[in-house]
Amino acid sequence: MKVSPVDQAVITQALIAAADEMGIKLVRSAHSPVVREAQDCSAAILDRKGRVVSQADLIPIQLGSVTHTFRACLEHHPLETLREGDFLVNNDPYSGGQHLPDIFLFSPIFLDGVLIGVTATVVHHIDLGGGAPGLNPDAGDVHEEGITFPPSCYSVERDWNGGPFERLVRANVRMPEATIGDINAQFAANAVGGERLKGLCRKFGMDTVFSAMDEMLDYSERRIRAAIRAAPDGVYSGEAWLDDDGAGDEPVPVRAGLTIDGDSIAVDFAGTAPQVATNMNSPFASTVSSAIACIKAVLTDPDIPFNEGAERAITVTAPYGCLVNPRPPAPVRARLLPSYRVVNAVMNALAGAVPEKVIAPGFDTTTVSCISHKHVGGYNIYLEIFGGGYGAGPGNDGCDAVDSMLSNCSNIPIEAMESDYPFFRVEDYSLRAASGGGGRQRGGMGFQRIYRILDDGVTFATYGDRFRFAAQGLFGGGPGAKAETFVERGGQRIPLKSKQQFPLSPGDRLTVRTGGGGGYGPAGERNPGLAERDRLDGFRSNPG
Amino acid sequence: MRVGIEVGGTFTDLVAVDRESLRTAKVPSTPASPDLGAMNAIEAAGLDPAGIEELVHGSTVATNAVLERKGAAVCLFVTKGTRDLLLLQRHDKEAIYDLRYRKPEPVVPRRHVVEIDERMAADGAAIKAPDHAAVADLVRRVLADGHYEAAAVCFLHAYANPDHERTVAGIIRELAPSLPVTCSSDVTREFREYERASTTALAAYVQPVMAGYVNRFAAALAGRGFAGRFSIMQSNGGRMPAEAMARNAISALFSGPAAGVVGAVRSVAGAGYRNLITLDMGGTSTDVALIADGRPELASMTRIDGLPVKTPVIDIVTVGAGGGSIAWVDDGGLLRTGPGSAGAMPGPACYRRGGDRPTVTDAHLVRGTLRPDAFLGGRMEVDREAARRVCGPLAERFAVTVEEIADNVVRLAEVSIVRAIQRVSTERGRDPRDYVLVPFGGAGPLHAARVAEDLAIGTVIVPPNAGVLSASGLLLSDHVHYRTRTRRLAVTQANMADIRNTVELLQAEARDYLAGLGVETGADFDRVLDMRYLGQAFEVSVPLSDPDLERLGAEDLVSLFGEAHRRIFEFAKPHGDPVEVVSFRVGVRAPPPPMPAMAGPQAGRAGGRGSTRLTERGEALDAGLLSRADLGPAAARGPLLIDDGSATIYVPPGWTAARDGHDNAVLRKETTP
Repeated sequence: MKVSPVDQAVITQALIAAADEMGIKLVRSAHSPVVREAQDCSAAILDRKGRVVSQADLIPIQLGSVTHTFRACLEHHPLETLREGDFLVNNDPYSGGQHLPDIFLFSPIFLDGVLIGVTATVVHHIDLGGGAPGLNPDAGDVHEEGITFPPSCYSVERDWNGGPFERLVRANVRMPEATIGDINAQFAANAVGGERLKGLCRKFGMDTVFSAMDEMLDYSERRIRAAIRAAPDGVYSGEAWLDDDGAGDEPVPVRAGLTIDGDSIAVDFAGTAPQVATNMNSPFASTVSSAIACIKAVLTDPDIPFNEGAERAITVTAPYGCLVNPRPPAPVRARLLPSYRVVNAVMNALAGAVPEKVIAPGFDTTTVSCISHKHVGGYNIYLEIFGGGYGAGPGNDGCDAVDSMLSNCSNIPIEAMESDYPFFRVEDYSLRAASGGGGRQRGGMGFQRIYRILDDGVTFATYGDRFRFAAQGLFGGGPGAKAETFVERGGQRIPLKSKQQFPLSPGDRLTVRTGGGGGYGPAGERNPGLAERDRLDGFRSNPG
Repeated sequence: MRVGIEVGGTFTDLVAVDRESLRTAKVPSTPASPDLGAMNAIEAAGLDPAGIEELVHGSTVATNAVLERKGAAVCLFVTKGTRDLLLLQRHDKEAIYDLRYRKPEPVVPRRHVVEIDERMAADGAAIKAPDHAAVADLVRRVLADGHYEAAAVCFLHAYANPDHERTVAGIIRELAPSLPVTCSSDVTREFREYERASTTALAAYVQPVMAGYVNRFAAALAGRGFAGRFSIMQSNGGRMPAEAMARNAISALFSGPAAGVVGAVRSVAGAGYRNLITLDMGGTSTDVALIADGRPELASMTRIDGLPVKTPVIDIVTVGAGGGSIAWVDDGGLLRTGPGSAGAMPGPACYRRGGDRPTVTDAHLVRGTLRPDAFLGGRMEVDREAARRVCGPLAERFAVTVEEIADNVVRLAEVSIVRAIQRVSTERGRDPRDYVLVPFGGAGPLHAARVAEDLAIGTVIVPPNAGVLSASGLLLSDHVHYRTRTRRLAVTQANMADIRNTVELLQAEARDYLAGLGVETGADFDRVLDMRYLGQAFEVSVPLSDPDLERLGAEDLVSLFGEAHRRIFEFAKPHGDPVEVVSFRVGVRAPPPPMPAMAGPQAGRAGGRGSTRLTERGEALDAGLLSRADLGPAAARGPLLIDDGSATIYVPPGWTAARDGHDNAVLRKETTP
């Protein structure tokens, strides 16, 4: 059935708006600061066949996984077996998921007994058990990272609201009120999306809405293919390195081979390091999301709706058992680190095809800062996700102190933190003024956060990267500054590793510094006006 | 004589009333010095400034100062360790796939931010007080070169305890008595340091510009004999005596759109409409707002040029759909309208100023809903052939007639407007069917009926003088002053006295403030408590009526909150789940003296009867032509085009139009049998 251009526009806009509304309401009704302030969550609407048609622009890496986690659910619970009032849940990194904290929750939506679509939300939950509060950097397998909810179907009425599934969750997490509150926010957001979907079907008729959804997928596919067609055919390769696996000293490579053929792209990760024993493995769904997000960002207009149609033109493969397609039960909590090297390797390959469209490597690292406090009544867990400086582009300095590409977490305001986490105080939150890579365009700057610890029973846990290998400049630009973390205790400076757990004492001063992005072009060509402005504001490029 | 003058981007509008008469004037704006345009308007209306008892003014002076980065040189004082607050912002991106993303540019560069060694705790306890001598030394050094035109102070947790801010502000005032100083705790007492610092910096940035403008204008008026009361419109839809506005310019940032909304609300109030959605469609964008029970909803935060502003502002949603919005085909083959706009220059192709891309205005001419001879009451010449020419390629591409493609272009613009209205209604738990649609601005009345129909709204009210509604909104606005306070209090019976006292304290503060400016107020208060379930971070606004405040018990307050939460989120937690109040917002209002009926002479040329051919919603129609002056109390059936001088009202088939006793044009959807 052919939908008129105006109806198509109305339905497309309404579905995108509905996903956005789900995202906004999820953030606004959630409990944990990691959702409500940092916005580590996403929302999507799937069609009656379980294909993602629209998404809220929140966290790219989570969005790419909605399809894969739902498909895994369908293997056990086919569409025709779903009933009104069911919900499906999945956080299994080996069934399309990301890492365990990201719980994907799906609500099938029915109108007059007919399945008209599925609403989905994913939230990074503050704690799902495991060997340490919030984050267990020492986990040797996925089981030590927390509880897995394999792809499964439950009933809201029977299993939630005090039912057995809710009790199971409650019994296995350290901050049950926050976790249950955040899952309730997911249910509420799914319900809002469901109402919007029903409203559309009532107004336009199901068949029109279904056809319009099909066209949304085709439309995104057409636009992505048009963009790929404009890039020169060829075989390109790129690579990027992680400092180490968090245990040893050996650098860990990610290698991408990229083939542009007409209007499609194939990416393969042959030559990438084998999976590692620590939590720095990228589940395959994360790898696919990262590669596609990079290609989309480099080649296409930002206004192409990102849905399953966008993925049709891009195939991603990786050897089983390698860093970016690990076998279970490898731990995966820090999966964003290898995922970012996937982005860097793919971007590096694209630089060969479309040098005018890429940017220099940025800090491109997720640095997790997790400070937990064990007290008589239980736990209080602070967790924040840090980015750093973006790589510079052909016509712009890199963005300073911002979350990296695969994520989009806000910071938690100091005033919110100090009210929710009385066991520390923030003494400094500032740009690292000499951390951007020099160049015709300067790399973005990283930043630092300094915490003063105020109580006993406090533990710091972290993972990060670029302690050894900085973001390199492009086409003659200089490297960004490296990251570092240390504790000052009684006049002594104790350096910490990029991945570790560390007990803190009252009076300790903990400093977390993230790195800068690489510069673009030779520094000698920098516009004197920009150089003068930097000087007046006290910014210098990274001395290298 | 009472006069309202609204300075817009293109035109400066004036409305003047005395006991029985009303006159209006429209003159070109003079962006370089807007007061000139305002003076011109006074002259054009033939008014003697000496005869004006009351002048209410709205302008884009503060807004433009920010957009064009022409505000004051500000020195910002912050807590030690937070120098980069304005640059760090919230660490997120507005566009997630944009590799060349840049953050919004703050109005105070890093070189003008100075750290003070002081610290407050989250509960308002002082951890480190500022050292008087050291601060004085530092301030003296920083201000030595006399470069600064304003100072701002924003310390961590000042919302909980403003003492340190006040101490430092005192030192600055002592050392530089002529330098205006703005403290964050005086601008907004709410937590989240970036948003508060951004607001404070903006407040300091626009303040000298606004003060200079107001003082210059007041002096010029005085020079011509004006001795009446002079007040200025605020973003919250209320006005303030001009001398106070010169000290609180940030509250004028969004006064233009607010004046239009107030004009619409008050214009239709006489006919008894209290629940309405306003639709102000101009050349590049459309503003919509929802008004429940006669009071526009206020948002506690908005943005200008990407920078957060935390002052109460009428909750207006803007979309990039206006008469100048350009129609185009994207690389996926989809027909789109906007958000790109041909603006005022070159404007639509039919203006013959070099515009060569089809716009919504061109599409109207082509499909026949705008007629060349009735454009702006026939005062402006337009070229229908040029409009047809630029629509041609689109028609070819989709293999339809130019009339049909033009019809689609208009309908796509309407889709964007419908979306904007859903954002202020359905997405906030309001059913648009409970509201009437009130269009104004040049293009609003042309689209209103079809937009209403898409939302199942059955009534459209076009107030008289819809073309100068913002200027009449100025005259119809109350004096308003708001006080806010972040104060976290659990909703328990034990805390109820404290909650009530806080409300009453803010009421007294607000009333005293206006009284200090010579504005007497009664007991007309707006009270909003921002509340949440314990553990949530975002608050739901809960309005408190007089009776609510009277009987206020913990149970009642929890119920009121539960209802508001359910309306927005479609769920509420069971009673017994702990609820807290986070902030208090209290406003006091003093209404203006009553206005004569806004009717005045009915605009529109009489006798333009006849009929015209048009294409609308895919159908070719013969529409009757009417002048607004011809519209009587009996319902005339669509399709009709009604010329009201400054705008065209379109009455589609299935709708009727009539004039009510207040000179509104009332459009109703006929119920299908």
